[in-house]
Amino acid sequence: MAQPKSRLTRTDWTHIAFLVLPALLFVTFYIYPVISSIGLSLHDWDGFSPRMRFIGITNYTVLAGQPRFLHAVFNNILWVVFMLIVPTGIGLLLAAILDRGIRGEKAFRIIFFLPFTIPAVAVAAIWRWMYEPDNGLVTTVMKVLGLGGFAQNWLGDPSVVNFSLMGAVAWWTTGFAFLVFFAGLRNIPTECIEAARIEGATPWQVFWKVSFPLLWPSTIIVLGMAAIDAMRLFDVVWSMTKGGPAYSSEVLATQMYDLAFGRFDMGRASAVAVYLFIIAGIIIMPYIVYMSRRVQDSEAE
Amino acid sequence: MSSSSIEQRQTILTRTVLIGMAVIFVAPLLVAFLTSFKTPSEITRVLSIPSQLYWENYAIAFQRAGRTFLNSILITVPAVMLSLLIGAIAGYPLAYMRGSSGKVVYFILLTGMLVPFQIVQIPLFFLIQKIGLYDTIPGMWLVHTAYAVPFCTFFMRNFFASVPRSMYEAALIDGCSPNLYFWKLLLPASTSGLAALAIIQSRAIWNDLLFAITLTTSDSARPATVAISGFASSLQVEYGPLMASTVVSIIPVMAAYLLFQKSFVRGLLGGAGK
Amino acid sequence: MKKSNWLAALGLAMLATTAVQAQENNEIWHYYAAGSELAGMNALIDAANAATDQYKFSGVVIPGNVVELRRQLQTAFLGGRPPALYQSSMAFELKTFADGGQLHPLTDVWAAIDGDKIFPEGVQRVVKVDGVPFGVPFDLSLINNVFYNKEAFEKAGVDVPTDWASFTAACDALRTAGYEPLGNAGGTFWSLYNFYAALVSVLGEEGYYKMASGELGFDSPEFSEALDLYRDSMVSCYAKNWSGKTWTQTADDLVNGNTGMFMMGIWAAGYMEQAGFKAGEGFDMFQAPGTVGKSIFQMDVLAVPEGPGVAAADEFIKAATTPEGQAAFATLKGSLAPNINVDPAVYGYAGATFTRQFSEASANNAVLPNLFFLLPTDLGTEFGVQIERFAIDPSDTVKSEMISTLEGLRQEALAENAFIKW
Repeated sequence: MAQPKSRLTRTDWTHIAFLVLPALLFVTFYIYPVISSIGLSLHDWDGFSPRMRFIGITNYTVLAGQPRFLHAVFNNILWVVFMLIVPTGIGLLLAAILDRGIRGEKAFRIIFFLPFTIPAVAVAAIWRWMYEPDNGLVTTVMKVLGLGGFAQNWLGDPSVVNFSLMGAVAWWTTGFAFLVFFAGLRNIPTECIEAARIEGATPWQVFWKVSFPLLWPSTIIVLGMAAIDAMRLFDVVWSMTKGGPAYSSEVLATQMYDLAFGRFDMGRASAVAVYLFIIAGIIIMPYIVYMSRRVQDSEAE
Repeated sequence: MSSSSIEQRQTILTRTVLIGMAVIFVAPLLVAFLTSFKTPSEITRVLSIPSQLYWENYAIAFQRAGRTFLNSILITVPAVMLSLLIGAIAGYPLAYMRGSSGKVVYFILLTGMLVPFQIVQIPLFFLIQKIGLYDTIPGMWLVHTAYAVPFCTFFMRNFFASVPRSMYEAALIDGCSPNLYFWKLLLPASTSGLAALAIIQSRAIWNDLLFAITLTTSDSARPATVAISGFASSLQVEYGPLMASTVVSIIPVMAAYLLFQKSFVRGLLGGAGK
Repeated sequence: MKKSNWLAALGLAMLATTAVQAQENNEIWHYYAAGSELAGMNALIDAANAATDQYKFSGVVIPGNVVELRRQLQTAFLGGRPPALYQSSMAFELKTFADGGQLHPLTDVWAAIDGDKIFPEGVQRVVKVDGVPFGVPFDLSLINNVFYNKEAFEKAGVDVPTDWASFTAACDALRTAGYEPLGNAGGTFWSLYNFYAALVSVLGEEGYYKMASGELGFDSPEFSEALDLYRDSMVSCYAKNWSGKTWTQTADDLVNGNTGMFMMGIWAAGYMEQAGFKAGEGFDMFQAPGTVGKSIFQMDVLAVPEGPGVAAADEFIKAATTPEGQAAFATLKGSLAPNINVDPAVYGYAGATFTRQFSEASANNAVLPNLFFLLPTDLGTEFGVQIERFAIDPSDTVKSEMISTLEGLRQEALAENAFIKW
């Protein structure tokens, strides 16, 4: 009877005790709402009336055949690619440069973090000005530089709008990557770097051979969050374009919102949410698993 | 000689990159800042310089959003602490547990990060209302703590994983209990991680709008983001007060940033691990 | 970072938040979060509080637009915690919530305020579902006015257009004089509102209502003709890059003399006046071609959810529909009071012009509600999206694609019996 219990050591019990509260919160605030969404996605329901009709997987099959839905999926994937590369890359670059100790470091540290502190609605309002196609700052600067011919109808041209939004989001979120990488770099024991320096490595070599491998935990966080933020992206797109013009900048989260509250189709909106969850899982989980293995490998060394 | 000239060129290059990036980062904010001092008629010309310091925008912002700034502070400070705590206590066992059970729990928790928050609102509303925390600040603490579980766990677990395991094993051999090790050794040694997470969480909670709209209605609990987005919503956008309140709302997060980033001390772990 | 510090801080914060819970208020939810809209709403709430000692009313701003408000309402309905009243759109919006059993029928209070007398007939029909009033009008805006920069018209030697021919001629003259002829803005509504002018030109009032009730198809030759008229007379005049601007940015263009004309709801007049550009001096307005003597309007109403607040809501409605209450809102917000007993003298130059237009249209029996809200919600929304798409790319391919998309939705709605006759 007490047999299985005795296999758990005191350490295990401590660990389990630590996990109780987080697990409880998780079950209440995540699992329960997600299950209820899955239930909703099998119904035809406007969101508030007592009438709720069970329609099986119809919502899923209808969505899968809709160009509008597929376009949003495509946009989300585009966002994942973008978020993995651009804000992350710039953040790493800035953190690496500043970590070397440069005059005015403090000021730069503040500047690079500043945009990240701004609420999404304000980011949207500011960038609506930046992208004003005739007199906005972006177009004006391009005209001054003699590049006026390349200025676009930033938020109004369906083939350009996604890239414009990405520019705004890069500006907004690079501070996150910068912060985490900077903290990570500061966390690398000085001995390692000193040792490499003494052996005559250039700063470039020190960074790639010593600092970067030790940055794995930070890298995992930054890349993982970048991918997840890209899948869940909502605020800035909704505030800036509402997914328009004509669905061109729509992502899954904004489409879900439009279906649920713009068109009173809660069932279909829940199906979009479940799709979003599944697609995010397919794209992101293998990556997280892989990255976590890398951490454990590097620990084992 | 030649190596120092290479170094010089590198310094010039990095300087140029830094200054170029800084200009790009600052320019939109400068426009916002200048706008916060413009009169309504000047606002129609976005790139103009304000002719005077029009403080009226700040007055409006304070009059309509003043109380909500206080609420934001009352919500954010405890919620950040609680979410850090919950992330740390969940991340600790997950970083140290051997075997697959820890991994399974970890991945289940991580899936939480994939949940779009828009879909949890309705069940969440029922829940918060039932336990009597609707439109209260403690309700917001609970929600922010709960929804921080996946990310904070992810963050702290990865951070703890970077703390040399030898420290843990040495402590256990010295007769330190795993519980004591966490509070007395691991947490103090994780200041830079906790500090980074504190900054991220301050910003996330301070800027939350969705939970705030769903779970608060009165001025006794509504945070500043609701008031700020009020300036930007509907048919009319009040750019002056919007930018004024944005400028003001940057200050607390910047303060948290400046305060906590002091803890990014290099070599801390190297020292602790020995 | 010490645990004891954390706990101390937590305790402090807890003490600070044990504030007295606010007394039970009767809430009015709305999304007039800013500017003159908020001022108008606050004036309305003040008027109601002054009129009764029995109840206390307070406004709750839901930042965003109708979509955010619906989200919030849905949550509140399901949680059994609805406000006493909320700002609702007209027609199908009311029907949807009434069908869902969430709205309180306003028959009694409607009789008490003499709703059938104080509101024009065209307004009444979009607040009643099967003859039962579910909303009470308080905010009415015309959406068929074209605003123009007077200086631009003078410099280009343009007279106020009265029909499509003089309208396109004005566009050409403005363009030649270096102006962008006609402003427009990105978003689901603005191109659609402009399109209504073409639609009414072709269909007349009767056809417009047939469109609303689903009797006239999107694949009809009339609809196609309206699209062609819109393309040739308005889309061809649109300013470069219009789709990348918000409506306020385009209004700024008009104020700054870059753009000659801008067809927008009458709230644009309020916006421009606030920016120091005065109606009758800097800018003026005329009814869009095809809508002269008619009024197309957008309206907000007060709706009352079933729940404990219905008695209080009656009192609020009584105060909000008096000529004084209606005038207080409309003059501050820059819209029109739906109550016909409001003295036209309360308005400024712009408001007086709009009032004149509206009473003329009422006399002509040519008051048309925004089609967007007459159609089933998903169809109306798709209609807006598709017209914007067509305005950006007015090619025949887009035209035929949009016709088949909308017609498909119409057929679905017909099959579900979703249309109603307003």
